[in-house]
Amino acid sequence: MIVAKSVTKYFGELQALKNVSFEINKGEIVGFLGQNGAGKTTIMRILTSYLPPTSGQVFIGGQEVSKNSLTVRKKIGYLPETPPLYSDMTVRDYLKFAARLKDVPAKQQCVQIDKVLEECRLKGVQHKIISILSKGYKQRVGIAQAIINNPEILILDEPTIGLDPTQIIQVRGLIKSLEYERTVILSTHILSEIQQIAHRVLIIKAGEVVVDKTLKDLLKEFNSDLEDIFLKLHLAKENQEQ
Amino acid sequence: MKKIFAIAKKELKAYFKSPIAYIVLIVTISVFNIFFFLIIDGDREADLRDVFKCMEFLFIFIVPLLTMKIFAEEKLSGTMEFLMTTPTTNTAIVLGKYLGSLVFFTIIIGITSSYYFIIEFFGQPDRLTILAGYLGIWLEGALFIAIGILISSWTKNQIVAAISSYTVLFLLYFSIGFIKYFSGWAEIVIRYIAIWSHTGNLTAGIITTADLVYYISGIFVCIVFTRLSIENRLWR
Ligand SMILES: Nc1ncnc2c1ncn2[C@@H]1O[C@H](COP(=O)(O)OP(=O)(O)OP(=O)(O)O)[C@@H](O)[C@H]1O
Ligand SMILES: [Mg+2]
Repeated sequence: MIVAKSVTKYFGELQALKNVSFEINKGEIVGFLGQNGAGKTTIMRILTSYLPPTSGQVFIGGQEVSKNSLTVRKKIGYLPETPPLYSDMTVRDYLKFAARLKDVPAKQQCVQIDKVLEECRLKGVQHKIISILSKGYKQRVGIAQAIINNPEILILDEPTIGLDPTQIIQVRGLIKSLEYERTVILSTHILSEIQQIAHRVLIIKAGEVVVDKTLKDLLKEFNSDLEDIFLKLHLAKENQEQ
Repeated sequence: MKKIFAIAKKELKAYFKSPIAYIVLIVTISVFNIFFFLIIDGDREADLRDVFKCMEFLFIFIVPLLTMKIFAEEKLSGTMEFLMTTPTTNTAIVLGKYLGSLVFFTIIIGITSSYYFIIEFFGQPDRLTILAGYLGIWLEGALFIAIGILISSWTKNQIVAAISSYTVLFLLYFSIGFIKYFSGWAEIVIRYIAIWSHTGNLTAGIITTADLVYYISGIFVCIVFTRLSIENRLWR
C-alpha cells in the first residue's frame, strides 16, 4: 500500500532523513516513534506530498506520490502536527469546507459531517467559532477533518496530544475501529499508546529507521516493554557517540 | 471549478468577519462622500472623472489591507498544509483566493455606484463615459489585488506583505514622475509599466486595447507567479 524507497530529505545543510525505506500493508496500524526532531513529521509530510523528498521515491497504492499527487491525496486523510484550523469559522462550516475540497459528493456532505461530528464527539460545539474552543476540542476538529472523506489511509501526527484521558481512550478506540478497513500511520510520544493500538513500530532516530518490527516480535526479542526498548536504543547510541 | 468557488466563498466570508474589511468599507464611503461633496459644491459639473482619480488613489491605500492576509495568514497558521494536502490544484487555490478578494472589492465599488444615480438626478452625464470609467477603475483594482496576493504569497508576515504591497503600488503609481531621469528603452518600459499612462484614458471614458492588454496581462502574470510561489517549497 505504502512503499518508501531510500528517501532522503535535506533542509539546506541539515539532513533530516537518511535513506528511509519501509513498506506498509493495507489494514496495518503503524506507529512512528522517535525523539523530538527525529524526523517523524518530515516523513509524514513527504507521504502526503506536502514536501518533496530530496531523493528517493514514495509509492502509495502503486502510484508515485510526487508524480500523481492529486490522485494520491484523495486517498489520504492527514492530521498535521498543528491542527490546520481557520479560527474565524464555525466547526461545521470548517468541516463543510474540508468536505468540499476533499471531493465528498454534495449529497453526502451533510451526512458525512454529522457522522464525523458524532465520532469525534463534536456535536455540542458544531456551531461554535473555532478560535474559542479549548485545545483538545481543536485537536478533535483536526481529526474530524482528516476522516471526513473516509480515506483509505490515515496519517496522524501526534493525534492524542492535548486530549483529556477519556478523549485519548476514545480516539484510540476510533483509530482501532478503523482497523482492517484502513491503513493508519500515527506518531506519538506516548509509548503505551503504541502498545495499545499499533501492530508495528518504526523507531526513527536522527532521520534513520533503527527499528522496523511488529510489536510482538519487538517485545519478544527484547523481552521487556516498549519504554525500556526505546530508552535502551537511545541511551546506548548516545553513549557510543560520547 | 467547484473548489474555486468553495475557496472564494470562504475568503469572502472571512472578509465579513474581519474588522479590517469594515474599516475599509467605511473609509471608502467616507472619503467618497467628502470628495463628492467638494466636487458638487465646487463647480456642479456632472463629471465622475475626479471621483475616479480619487478612487484610484484610495485603492492604493486599501488594497494591501485586503490582500495582506491572503496567503501570509494561511502559512502562519498552518492551514496551508491543509489546503495543499487536499486534492485541490494549486491553480484552484490561487484562483479561488483571487476571486474571493475580487468579489469583495467589487462590492465596495458597487456601493460607490450610488453616486452615479445622484449625478444622473442632477444632470445629464454621459453614460458610456461613466461605464467605461467604472470598467477602468475596476480593472485597475483587479490588478492591484493580483499584485497584493502575489506579495502575500512570499511571506508569513502580514505586516511585511502590506508594506511591500504599498511600496510596489506606490512605485507603480508615482514612477511616471521619475521618467525624466530616464531615457531610451528604460523610459519606454517605465512609461508602459506606470499605472498613470493607462488610467488617464479610462477615467476619461476611453477604452483602448493597449490599456486592456496592460491590465489583463498584468493580472495574468501575477496569478501565474503566485502559483509558482506557492509551489516553491523553500518556505515550508
Ligand atoms: N522547514 C524546515 N526547515 C528546516 N529544517 C526543518 C524544517 N522542518 C523540519 N526541520 C528539521 O528537520 C528535523 C526533523 O524534524 P521533524 O519535525 O520531522 O521532527 P519530529 O520527529 O516530528 O519531532 P517532534 O517529535 O518534535 O515533532 C529537525 O531537526 C527539524 O529542525
Ligand atoms: Mg513532529
